[in-house]
Order: sequence, then C-alpha cells, then structure tokens
Amino acid sequence: MSAIEKFEEILENRHQYAKDWKQRTGGKVTGWLCTYVPVELLYAAGMLPVRILGTHEVQDVTDRYLFPTVCPFSRDALAQGLKGRYDYLDGLTMSRTCSHVQGTFDNWRNYVPIPFSHYIWLPCHRESPRAVPCLRGELLDLKQAIEKFTGVTVSDEDLDKAIELYNTNRRLMRQVYEFRKSDDLPITGAEAMEMVVASQLMDVVEHNKLLEDLLAELPNRKLDREAGLRLMMIGSEMDDIVFVRMLEELGCTVVIDEHCTGSRYFWDDVIPEEDRLGAIARRYITRWPCPAVSSEFNDRGDRIMQHAKDWDTQGVLLYQQKFCDPHEFDIPSLAQNFKELDIPTLVLEFDVTIPFGQFRTRIEAFLEMAELEVF
Amino acid sequence: MTTEYFRWTEYTWKDPDIDWRKADTLVAGIDVGSVSSQAVVLADDKIYCYCNTRTGSNSPDSAKNALGQALEGTGIKDEDLQFVVGTGYGRVNIPMAKKAITEIACHARGANYMGGPTIRTILDMGGQDLKGIHCDERGKVTQFLMNDKCAAGTGRGMEVMAELLQVPIVDVGQMSLDVPEEPEPVSSTCVIFAKSEAIGLLRSGWTKNMVLAAYCSAMAHRVVGLLERIGIEKEFTITGGISKNVGVTSRILKELGGIEAVPLAPDAQIAGAVGASLFARDLLLKSRR
Repeated sequence: MSAIEKFEEILENRHQYAKDWKQRTGGKVTGWLCTYVPVELLYAAGMLPVRILGTHEVQDVTDRYLFPTVCPFSRDALAQGLKGRYDYLDGLTMSRTCSHVQGTFDNWRNYVPIPFSHYIWLPCHRESPRAVPCLRGELLDLKQAIEKFTGVTVSDEDLDKAIELYNTNRRLMRQVYEFRKSDDLPITGAEAMEMVVASQLMDVVEHNKLLEDLLAELPNRKLDREAGLRLMMIGSEMDDIVFVRMLEELGCTVVIDEHCTGSRYFWDDVIPEEDRLGAIARRYITRWPCPAVSSEFNDRGDRIMQHAKDWDTQGVLLYQQKFCDPHEFDIPSLAQNFKELDIPTLVLEFDVTIPFGQFRTRIEAFLEMAELEVF
Repeated sequence: MTTEYFRWTEYTWKDPDIDWRKADTLVAGIDVGSVSSQAVVLADDKIYCYCNTRTGSNSPDSAKNALGQALEGTGIKDEDLQFVVGTGYGRVNIPMAKKAITEIACHARGANYMGGPTIRTILDMGGQDLKGIHCDERGKVTQFLMNDKCAAGTGRGMEVMAELLQVPIVDVGQMSLDVPEEPEPVSSTCVIFAKSEAIGLLRSGWTKNMVLAAYCSAMAHRVVGLLERIGIEKEFTITGGISKNVGVTSRILKELGGIEAVPLAPDAQIAGAVGASLFARDLLLKSRR
C-alpha cells in the first residue's frame, strides 16, 4: 500500500485509528479545535492530539446549541461530539481564535461528557511585543493543567523531543509541497490535502514515517490525467476532500493552498530556545496567520502572493465557510492583489453540504474563462 | 381543463431562405436549462432553425425533444449534424452532444453573435438562476457572477406568481406596468415569502396589477444588486426567459440609471443554445484542421 493510500485509509477510519492508538500505547487522546492549539505540548505530555473535524452530512442536532449564523464547520464539528462519535476522547482543547468555534467548544464542554478540557487565551493583539510572554504564561497554565490531569510531569527533554518531531513533520510536508512546483505534477491537491489532514489525526512519529515513504515514491509518481490549470486554494477551514476531487476532475490541479488543513497549519517551525514554552509561544504568535487572529492583512497577503508566484499559480479559488467574517473581509483585498497580476479568481461560499451542480457550473465556467485560448 | 397560467409560448422557427444541404458545416447547440430547453441548428454561420420548449423531467429526453422539434419538417436527420455541443444545467446528460460547455460561456458567445461584438455585459435571467457576465469582443467570458442557491428573482419564481394570481405569464410584464403609481417592491424576493406577502396584499385590497408591479420591482431590484457587484460595462444586454418580461426589464434598466439593453434577434431566450452551436462549429472546424 502506498503512503497516500494509507493516509486515505486513516482518514476513512479516523476514530478507529485513535481508539487503537489508545489501546496500543495506553496514552490519552485529546481533541483540538483550532490550529492555534500547540500540538507539540500535548504530544510532549504523552497525548495523541486529534483535530476535531466535521463529516459534511446534513444534521439537525446543533440547532438547540448554536445560532443559525454560526459557521457550518463549527456546527458540523459540534454535531460529531453530540452524536458521540468522539466518545473515546480524554480531553478537549481550544485556543481563542474565533467565537464560532468557541461555541463548539463551550457546548461540547457543557453537554458532552469529557474528563479534561482546557481553553488557551491566545492574545488577540499578536503584533504586540507583549504577545509572546502572554501566550507563554497561557502555555504554562496548559502544561500544569495537563500534568495535573495525567499525573505525569512534562520535562524539558519531553518538550525537546516533541518540538523536534513536529518540526520534522513540518519540514517533510514542505518537501512534499516542493514537488508541487513541478510542471510534471506527481500529486493532486486532494492527495496533498489527505496528507495534511492525516497529520492532524495521527501520531506524529507514524506520520513522519509515512511522509518519508511518500517522499521516496514521489519521484516516480505521475498523475493519471492532464494537470490542467494550476490552481491555488485560499480560505477558511476546509477538509472536504470530496469537493477537491470534484474540483480537480473538472480540469485543474491544486498546486498550492493557504488554509488550515494545508500550508497555513504546518508552514512554520518552532525555533528552539532555552525557554521551551517561550519558543513554542513565539511560533504560534509569529506563524502564518489566520485572519481570525490577525489585524494585519499584509502579513498574510504578502505570504500568499509569494506562494502564488513560487508555485506558478494560474488561477485562484477563494472560499470561505459561510458566516466566516474574518476570511470574507480578506477576500476583496486578495482578489485585487491577484487582479493586478492578471490571475483570475473565483469566490465560493461553503455550507455543511455544497450545492454540487451550481458549484460545478461556476468552476467549469471559471476554468473555461481562465484557459488562455479555448478554441 | 384547468388553465396553466405558468405556461409561456413554446415554438419553433426556421429560415426559409437557407438551404441547409448547401451548407459546408451543419451543427447544433442544445441548452437544457432548469425550466426551458432550446435547440439551435447552425448552417455555416447562420441560424437555420431553432426550438424553444419546456424542460421535461430528465435531461436526455428534454434534449431529444427540443432537437426533434427544431428539426421537424426540415429534412435534417440527427446524423446530418456534424457536431453538437450541450449546455445548460443538464449539459452533462445530453446524449447527442460531443462536448459540454457551461451556459455562462455559451450565453456570452450567443449574445455576442446576436447583439454584436460591442456587447460587454450580459445579464442572463434563467429559470432558476441569475448570472452577470462580462465578455470581450469575441464573446469570451472575462468575469462572471452567479446568484446563490435560491430561485428568488428567477423564472421559476415568476411562474409561481403567475399561478398564484391566475395571470398568464406572458401578460405579467405588461400588466405590471399598467398601474396608477409604482408600489413599493415586496420586501423579500424569496419565492415562498413573496408568495405569502402577495396573498396578504391581495387580501388588503391591492389589484393584481399592483401586486405584479411590486413583485417585478423586487425582482429587478435584486438583479440590479447582482449587476452592481460585477459592474456594468456597455453595451448591455439581457438573455434568458425573463428578458421577455418587460415589467422586469424596464425596471432593471430604469434602476441602472436609464441605460439601454441591446435587443437580441431572433430571440434572447435562445442565446445559450446559439452560443453552444457556435462553439460546435469552432470545434468542427478545428477537428478538420
């Protein structure tokens, strides 16, 4: 079985994977709700950090808990908890990023039995010189809370090891992304997304091993179809791999992305410092920002434009989860930036389920428009 | 038999001056939309015949029906058509089509053909969606915007209203203009809400004409909102079934500051199928090269 097939298999059986891990290692599994939760700290305490994701099914269990104007992802994620699909979790963590997913966290804590939960007060003014020390204090709280819950002390060596493993994970995924710069693409956008989503569900040691396998396979791998238009996907939370497959079947390949089940999650390393928690805090304050925590558009915008150039992007899909205002605010500025480079953009708004037919028409029309000469 | 007020005129047309047997290329475009279907046959670069009919319960039958009606009495057999392109919501399910192209590209191309190369902005008001499209002088799309998921402000909504008020849909536009003064638009263009609101207005003594005026006005207002997002570049034209409703189109043009819409002959509702037939001809000529 190839590395990509293994990622697919783990995504299909994500709950079973976590349950098996628990049985196999005797460790605790902690869910997390936003990529601003420092997974290396959870891992250092012997926990398996697992990202809570939705399933894109129609559901009616969250209406009593969340306003109708809460984003579809946050609703979908809470539905999983209410339906008991994460009944094996020992803990749940969340970092202060957006009020919608906070609704998921609060309701989960109140209405779904969970032995341990912890909320990280990520400072909202991340540009301030006081942001790193502030978050460091929060991470110390988290560390102490975990130690109290598990009865295990997290040593500097534990932290060093976890930091090293996650930095390796990030480096290997960046290496995979390098292959997507090629004209002769060895991997589709859907497959790359499977890799990143798997990294948010798996034990980092096992994921690193699969990444090494994948890097060995990629030089001899080819797509079984024409690559078509080189597309960049930019937006809010997005783990709908079925959608990405549909998108790519219409005549394009996603060569680079900027979302939190893609590059925005793993792009930045923790730069080691003597003060380990300080180093982790610095990584999360200075990392590739989500607009939900950043007031500086250019910090994100400049990185996006650089990636668009480096990966030779020919078209851009800008999307948002419905009601995700921070992302929606950035869309006009991003669209303008791409317009100046003569790169066409398409904007789509995602709900729990997507209107397949309408999206198909828009995407096809966009591809017809973006192709230099159709006939 | 009860009257079906939602029914609009279905018809076929052919150009008696063209002898299709002398044509070098004979191709067709078929547009299977959510409400109506059209088939256009192009003899060389001229429209030879076409049909405009209702979409049935499935796309393949609707396509066959539209093409069958268009070809009736012409002597053209299906196999005489050298290339067929399908478009519209049902485009991927048109059995005789060799290629499917979106209605967005086809409407731009068809409007460019019928209205001339100066057309830059097309408003397509279809059975279940709305599209604002910009194109270049060749009819190639440069930008577009589509309404979101609901059918408000589209042909289907107008059909519901015609049934509710028991007014033949082809009379809706003219009747909506025959009012002593322009009423406020209905507050929502959601079809279901608008229907409830219309019932309320009728109960409070409004005439049918006033209710139609309020609905047409709401529809126009919604469309202008979409157009303003994409921007209007001249020349401007309107395609799709609602382009035949003067109650909506005149209000759109007024709200856009009194601009004009380039008329499309022979029929603005067939723009998608015309565009598809033009693409079919391009693809046929390309395959010969």
